[in-house]
Amino acid sequence: MSLVSEVATVLINGLQQGAIYVLVAIGLSIILGTLKFVNFAHGALYLVGTYAGLFITLNVQLTGGKLMDWGYSELGLGWGFLPALVLVPIIVFVVGVLMERFVARPFYDRPDTDQILLTFGLAIVVQELFKILFGGQSYNFARPAWASGPVSLPLIGSFPQWRLYVLGITAALVIGVYLLIEYTDFGLVVRAGTRDAEMVQLLGIKITRPYLMVFGVGAALAGVAGVVGGPLYAVNPNIGTEVLVPAFLVVVIGGVGSITGAVLGGILIGETLAILVAVAPQWSQVGIYVLAAVVLLVRPQGLLGVEEVTP
Amino acid sequence: MTDEGTERADAPADATDDGTVVGAAERELFDWQSLKESELFVVAATTLFVAVFPWLFADAPVISGFFNGYRDLATLMLIWGIFAMGFNLLLGYTGLLSFGHAAFWGGAAYAAGIFSHTVSSSPILIIVAGTLFAAVLAWVLGFISLRRGGIYFSILTLAFGQMAYYLALSPLSQYTNGENGYTSVEIGQLLGTFYLRYPVPGLEWLLGTWKYVLVGTVTVLSVAAAYRILHSPYGMVFRAIRQNEQRAEFVGLNVWRYKLMAFIISGSFAGIAGSLFTIHGAYVPLQSLYWTTSGEVVIMAVLGGVGSLFGPIVGAGVYLYVENIISGVQKLTVPFTGPAEWLTLVQEPVVLLEGFGAYWHLILGLVFVLVIALFPRGIWGLFEDLGASLRRLSGGDR
Repeated sequence: MSLVSEVATVLINGLQQGAIYVLVAIGLSIILGTLKFVNFAHGALYLVGTYAGLFITLNVQLTGGKLMDWGYSELGLGWGFLPALVLVPIIVFVVGVLMERFVARPFYDRPDTDQILLTFGLAIVVQELFKILFGGQSYNFARPAWASGPVSLPLIGSFPQWRLYVLGITAALVIGVYLLIEYTDFGLVVRAGTRDAEMVQLLGIKITRPYLMVFGVGAALAGVAGVVGGPLYAVNPNIGTEVLVPAFLVVVIGGVGSITGAVLGGILIGETLAILVAVAPQWSQVGIYVLAAVVLLVRPQGLLGVEEVTP
Repeated sequence: MTDEGTERADAPADATDDGTVVGAAERELFDWQSLKESELFVVAATTLFVAVFPWLFADAPVISGFFNGYRDLATLMLIWGIFAMGFNLLLGYTGLLSFGHAAFWGGAAYAAGIFSHTVSSSPILIIVAGTLFAAVLAWVLGFISLRRGGIYFSILTLAFGQMAYYLALSPLSQYTNGENGYTSVEIGQLLGTFYLRYPVPGLEWLLGTWKYVLVGTVTVLSVAAAYRILHSPYGMVFRAIRQNEQRAEFVGLNVWRYKLMAFIISGSFAGIAGSLFTIHGAYVPLQSLYWTTSGEVVIMAVLGGVGSLFGPIVGAGVYLYVENIISGVQKLTVPFTGPAEWLTLVQEPVVLLEGFGAYWHLILGLVFVLVIALFPRGIWGLFEDLGASLRRLSGGDR
């Protein structure tokens, strides 16, 4: 192993780790930016995604039929991972929409602290429910059969294939969300809402539906993060809260409401973790908090965040 | 019913219901109210309560059988009570919601433990050392976290609290003993004479050991200090900030400095409690720094009722009671059924829920959510409302 290949391995590992945080953080960031709602239960959506993914993967057997005849069982359809990848975002989207309607909406006019407390309580309830339903133990979430083996990359050498898929899926989703926000009418309303929600309403735009959509899309992204992250990390009821804190750091570092900021923040945190694991493993977890503190001292609104609009 | 009508009738039309009732009550019950709010009364009542609490909780006839409590739990309740009260000085009076108070509780616990091993094992010095450490830590973390207000403050305190946890877990493990927790705590005699684990001569039935005397005394002092701070002009500024930060700023107050001071004061109370926790258990678990500890104190304060001095202490007691006693209940039965009750209506117990103990966390979470949504003033607020309506019903005191 030459130095170059070691560095490249560390960097791509950091990128992959950051990808999961980016997926969780984008949802947090746009919900916080647009709806001004702090969702401490966002980690619970990741949790729902992971367990739903595991459940579907284990139980949905797409055996028989044309796909089998065409030989697609070798691609892992028999393991149900692709159905999970499709169904989980839909399920978590619905959960998110319900959450907006029945949890968040009645609390928009309440103080920030009440929103945080409510979602914090909700996160506990969800976590405990999963503990009761599925037990406190860790489950083994197998990688999809079509991506379980290593792949040979230039410079790096042998690399787990699934990690590449995670990178690809994240990149595709991030680009999709970016296009949605930047180039559609829906995105226009969302962006305007991020700047000044009251003004949007005064212009006669009914903000309820975009709010539902924002919450749903943000939730679905956390759900996808749960499915693609499931095979990489432990699957247990505490995973939701464990992923929440780094995701919040990503939002704070990148700047609230900014998608590119979330991507930048996620990559920074992922790389910081990966580099420190390679260089000074003791400090790996502390490093990301130091990074966040430094960014805050220099730029309190986050790297790509805008100064808040003062009325 | 008629009383309520008259109270509202003579109030200005634009006054809110809340303000009217309180205003009327204050006028009617002036003597009782002013007595109830005098510092001497608060401290005396706290002292009395602290003195009889372990006996009532663990050894008194009939009542204690109902509580099913034990003395060590009573001590722990007071310690967490100080923690929750200090936490609420920040949340309830300046409106800042910190999710990083585990850093001050756990940090002080570690500082106290290490101090006891390396410098002095005198319990009072241990408390001073732990509290000072927590105050300095609160100054640093507050300085960083308060750079952004509102929701960001909560997120940042959460993040930097976690940083303290990971620091103790691995880079500082040569001092903190990593994930095993700090075990070499040494506790000496109180004031050089009293062994903490020895019973108080003559008063053992009431107070138990010297350890409880120490914890109880610190509790009373903490309540007195908190009361003094809140009723000083300084404390008034805290409330003003909660009411309307912008207006406080316009009046010419340096809001940021007051917020930082509130954070440091609150962190110091957490430090007092954390040091007592080390003295109590002679051990510092790493878990004491984890953010679930911050979450627990949040739950305690909110359940008990933010914005009142004693609500969070009640909340701490209820939380620990549920955690330690209720969680051991395997079958939830209808009261007074079954052979072991002191009043038996039916011999066969009527089971409401099987395996109840496993659900305690879930049920507490649901109650917490309900409290936020429906009773933002918590258990203490319910007490107050109940007291007010009782007085109104009886028509007394006027």
